[in-house]
Amino acid sequence: MSETLAHKRPAGLNVLIYGFIVFWVILAAFPFLWTVWGSFKVEADFFSRESWWNALFGTNTIRQTGAAFTGDGYYGAWVTRDFWRAAGNTIVVTLFVTIISLTFGTLGGYALARSGRNYAFWILIAALIFRAMPHITLVSGYLLPFFQLNIWGVLPTSIIVLVAINQPFTLWMLHSFFLSIPKDLDESAMVDGCTRFQAFRLVIMPVMWPGVVTTGLFSFLLGYNDFAVTAMLLSADNQTMVPKISSFLGSVQEAGNVMYAVAAVVSATVPLFILVLFFQRQIVSGLTAGAVKG
Amino acid sequence: MAQIRLKNISKRWNNFVGVDNFNLDIADREFLVLLGPSGCGKTTTMRMIAGLEDITEGEIWIGDRMVNKLEPKDRDISMVFQSYGLYPNMTVYENIRFPLKVRKVPQDQHHERVMKAAAMVELEPFLERRPAALSGGQRQRVALARAIVREPNAFLMDEPLSNLDAKLRVSTRAQIKNLHHTLKTTTIYVTHDQIEAMTLADRVVVMNKGLVQQVGTPMEIYDRPANTFVAGFIGSPAMNLVPGSVENGVFTAQGIRIEGLPSTTKGPVTLGFRAEDATLAQGQGQIEAPIYSVELLGEATMLSMRVAGELVSIKVAKDYRAEIGETAAIAIPAAACHLFDQSTGTRIGA
Amino acid sequence: MPHKTFFAFVMPSLIAMVLFIALPIVSVVVQSLYVAHDRVMVQVENCQPFGGCSTELRVDAAATAELQAEQPLGKFNGLGTYFNRAHLAFDELGVILQTNRGLGDIWNRVLNLPFYKGLIFTLVYCFVVTPLAMALGFGIALAVNALPKVTKGPIIFFSLLPMIITPLVGSLILYWMLSPNGILGATIQHLFNDPTLSLRASPGLTWIALLLYGVWTNGPFSFVVFYAGLQTVPADTLESAMIDGASRWERIRYVIVPHLMPLATFVALVQLMDNFRVFEPIVGFSAEANATSLSWLIFNDLSGDTQQFGSAGATSVLTIIGVVILLSPVLVRTWREFKLKVV
Repeated sequence: MSETLAHKRPAGLNVLIYGFIVFWVILAAFPFLWTVWGSFKVEADFFSRESWWNALFGTNTIRQTGAAFTGDGYYGAWVTRDFWRAAGNTIVVTLFVTIISLTFGTLGGYALARSGRNYAFWILIAALIFRAMPHITLVSGYLLPFFQLNIWGVLPTSIIVLVAINQPFTLWMLHSFFLSIPKDLDESAMVDGCTRFQAFRLVIMPVMWPGVVTTGLFSFLLGYNDFAVTAMLLSADNQTMVPKISSFLGSVQEAGNVMYAVAAVVSATVPLFILVLFFQRQIVSGLTAGAVKG
Repeated sequence: MAQIRLKNISKRWNNFVGVDNFNLDIADREFLVLLGPSGCGKTTTMRMIAGLEDITEGEIWIGDRMVNKLEPKDRDISMVFQSYGLYPNMTVYENIRFPLKVRKVPQDQHHERVMKAAAMVELEPFLERRPAALSGGQRQRVALARAIVREPNAFLMDEPLSNLDAKLRVSTRAQIKNLHHTLKTTTIYVTHDQIEAMTLADRVVVMNKGLVQQVGTPMEIYDRPANTFVAGFIGSPAMNLVPGSVENGVFTAQGIRIEGLPSTTKGPVTLGFRAEDATLAQGQGQIEAPIYSVELLGEATMLSMRVAGELVSIKVAKDYRAEIGETAAIAIPAAACHLFDQSTGTRIGA
Repeated sequence: MPHKTFFAFVMPSLIAMVLFIALPIVSVVVQSLYVAHDRVMVQVENCQPFGGCSTELRVDAAATAELQAEQPLGKFNGLGTYFNRAHLAFDELGVILQTNRGLGDIWNRVLNLPFYKGLIFTLVYCFVVTPLAMALGFGIALAVNALPKVTKGPIIFFSLLPMIITPLVGSLILYWMLSPNGILGATIQHLFNDPTLSLRASPGLTWIALLLYGVWTNGPFSFVVFYAGLQTVPADTLESAMIDGASRWERIRYVIVPHLMPLATFVALVQLMDNFRVFEPIVGFSAEANATSLSWLIFNDLSGDTQQFGSAGATSVLTIIGVVILLSPVLVRTWREFKLKVV
């Protein structure tokens, strides 16, 4: 419809629309492009007092390293400051958080979608309230018991905590995806001779993959983007990328190595870029699935 | 193969009564149709038999087993769903085979049985397709094949034709009738379409608001409706119902007078008669009223007239023509009339 | 579904939520009632070979540690923590109300109380960012919807970036650009011709930067939801509005906006919830001198050398109360609908 009407739009309106879109795209994308570009410069260029043309042309970078681009920041972050270890931890944490969240979430979401009873409704409402809890308030409840139980600082603790924090959202999202699968399907399976679990595994899960992938993306994002939990619950050796970047900030700035932090930030951004590139449609559908249901 | 017995079955959700005190014996090999408007409890009854819905009260027996506590899979019934419930990720062949697989039927029998079931519903050319690549009628037949591939105690069919277009519905209906004749398996069939009920059933159960209104063969239900609900639900068009009063075997209301009714009651009643039992009167008729509309049906002409505040339909010869507003005289034989109690709606007399 | 099956399915998820969401809330409440032990002091007689003896008070490290091990929660303090200067600070508030010199003075002095400083910024962030981000998102959705199809994909791609970016990373990226040496910070100094203008020095600028970051990162969510909503606006209604002579603006006002209203409620709810826990940008922007939030206060209590569990617990409880107040309209509505359904 918009195409057929486009030529009828007054020129002024078109200018406004295109102008606004260009403005927004710049606003959304420029900070990333600029930081990626700048991460290959030296600090004197990226944080240039004199002129930002320096960052564009790499004046100081050429003077200091001989070339317009330098990987020094990346070398410093990944090799000198062991960022690779944090990256490894992040992979472990996000992988397990995603897998466990989805396992728990599909089971629970399925039951919630198929039970019409009152307690299913109240579980969903409780999940909504839990979803609203700021993570750091929960973290303040964990620390003391975790110290006592001697499970503070290790990856498994953080993983299970992130899974739990993620459950309310995962449950809601998968619940709404399961609702969109006709009940007839599991009922025919059960009449055909399946138990509830067999119906879930053999008949429902094979058609749930789009929903599982979408929800998985959001579980991944939660694990990947988390700062509050991982910063407080992991010991320095076990830190994932985000808390590592935060602890970089102080130490690195004083040592005059801000570019290490910039390189680390860009490194942490790249996987997200790739994620959006490949899963744009799923992310959009996930956001709207929640909305349409909500 | 088995008989099914429902003893005082009730289903309630909080204060809402879905099915109220349902009692029925379904004979082995019988084709039973549950008929009623949507929300009358017919689907709920079937789902309770299948085990998909908890039973609030009462007992369900399949064969000589009380199945109240059994899972659907242990009741050994098969079911055709309104939207077919085909597994979209499996081919037609795998769909039909699925019940054999999950019930651990020996592998070597699978192929033969799937092919036999597919042949019965003429699905052989489509076995490798997925449901998404099938037409509505073909999907419906896959659902049928999946139901007949094993020999269950009973078939349950939940409005299996309602998603088909009119023409396909007629041919599939015939196919279901034929399948039942071949397989002779007890079948319970839910529908809101009285024509399906009349054509398929050995016996029909008419339900409304969770209550059984009448149980009988199609002809019993058509010829002797137990109450005004059944009378108004069965037949196309439904039976004309006109409020009036009766005395000494004479029914009167505004614009209508019928003598010679074999009734001894006196007072307000509802008169029922079918459009096809009425004829154009030679001379004076039992009904004389202006014509409200004239509809040409092809095989007949349908007149509507307003009598005692009700619009009644009269089926007359196909070459009859009249103008709207003309007065027509209609004859109704007393033998074709039914009388119902005006307050309770139940049938008066035999 | 039978109860047994239902709970078998829900159990893992339920256990996880009870153990790591419900119990921690209880734990937080308990913690907030305790404060750290006083250090155990001992009198030690200190005798010098040539100077006689003196007695002095010393911390008995062993005894303190032992006490700590026996009662890890600390000593019971009742609601004391809630009312102290770092939290609700009723005494200080009373003094301020009695001895103030006008509203500006009240404002400045209240902002010096840590809890109120965090609370005020949190609320401002919530209620400024949410509507602005929704307006921005709605605007983008309308504009993108008017574009030719081929351009939509890439624009949606770029639009998603500010949303999915790790909050800490996203705020760092903006912070570096806005810092006096960064491209935007330097440009602003240049524009206003004021070399002292910087985030660090100006609370106002810090607040604006944080709010801008909030709109930047929250806008895309509204955009995506509204854009999806726009696809479901019934074409019939839109076309009949056109035939009835409604202008572009009137079509938006009378057809599109009402259609999107339920979505808008949903977006507002989600974003209020998320914005109420604003935290990472304050770390990313190193803004704690000029702006803090409730979440940041808890983080700060927990991350020092001496972790103040009592104080963190009290702030957490107050935060949770805030969340419940924020959610109460939804909860009340759900409860009413539920009652209606039952009766």
